[in-house]
Amino acid sequence: MMTTARDKKDYAKDPMPRVEITESHWSDEQKAEFLRRRRARNFLLLAALGGFCLIIYVIAMVKLHEYGQMW
Amino acid sequence: MSIRATEMLRDTISAPHLGAEPRDWLALLKPRVVSLVVFTGATGLVIAPGRINPLLAAIAIFCIALGAGAAGAINMWYDRDIDAIMRRTTSRPIPAGKIEAGGALGFGIVLAVISVVLLAMATNLCAAAVLAFSIFYYAVIYTIWLKRRTPQNIVIGGAAGAFPAVIGWAAVTGHIGLLPVVLFLIVFFWTPPHFWSLSLYASTDYEKASVPMLPVVKGARHTRWNVFVYTLILFPLALSPWFLGLAGRIYGATACVLGAAFLYFAWAVLRDEQDAKGVSLSKDQPARAAFKFSILYLFLLFAAIAVDRLV
Repeated sequence: MMTTARDKKDYAKDPMPRVEITESHWSDEQKAEFLRRRRARNFLLLAALGGFCLIIYVIAMVKLHEYGQMW
Repeated sequence: MSIRATEMLRDTISAPHLGAEPRDWLALLKPRVVSLVVFTGATGLVIAPGRINPLLAAIAIFCIALGAGAAGAINMWYDRDIDAIMRRTTSRPIPAGKIEAGGALGFGIVLAVISVVLLAMATNLCAAAVLAFSIFYYAVIYTIWLKRRTPQNIVIGGAAGAFPAVIGWAAVTGHIGLLPVVLFLIVFFWTPPHFWSLSLYASTDYEKASVPMLPVVKGARHTRWNVFVYTLILFPLALSPWFLGLAGRIYGATACVLGAAFLYFAWAVLRDEQDAKGVSLSKDQPARAAFKFSILYLFLLFAAIAVDRLV
């Protein structure tokens, strides 16, 4: 799209218009990429929390088995 | 706003707003540094007298890696301004716009707390306390306090990388003995020649970012002498576990050969062809070789002491 002289003049008055950029401005590819990355992050967080619980469980089991107490 | 302006703005903001990928978060943990830390920490565990359940040992190594990664993330958060200037670090997640600075800091702090708490639960308070102190040392004493203030930053800050062997030892024994202290000193004196070799050929980057690395402040010639002197000190220090009866002949022979080789590389750095200002005429080839060899040196030295104990 060609930029007219009027566009240039308006843009000079307000070089960075305060327009909220939301997902509605994204292309379909960008939306799909955003959803893919969010899903990956969520799965990773779930795995990290699961791993954290598993580690605490393993520590508790080993310590209780070997020493009869946690601390 | 015109469609063109909207398109331009969309292109500009799209990368950060799409969010980071898991590999970007992983990059925050400085995986290469962590791999060496894990190795020295595991060596501390192996050579310590006493017994530890293999599962708890694995968790202890995981905690050391997590703690080192956490310190790396906090380092990247604080250094984001200079990382954006230096060519070597512009692709890091924060300057590349993949992860927001606050997110990186939060990530680092959460991981630091988790690593210390888990290590305390899995092993003992002594190991957890040393881990906590090492994270504090790297993130606060080195990164925030020393790095931008003194050309001796890497000498004092080098202690941060020397803690893992002590943590590994403490995880098994619950206290700190003479051998882990000697290993601490070896890594402490190994760090300056290792890092100054790198900074010799990356000095323009540090100069651009106004980081007072030794080559920037005192010049390349002075740095070359320091690389050689520290390597010279390292030679008998690396042999000391053998002299003190803390390690056997396998370690003694390995330390002797590796020390001689490291001295050869440091001598080559010192004798590199230079102009009147001490700037290398060979594109710092000897410094590049010394940097690469220094990594191999530490790896083989710690492998030797572990093998010596196991055989």
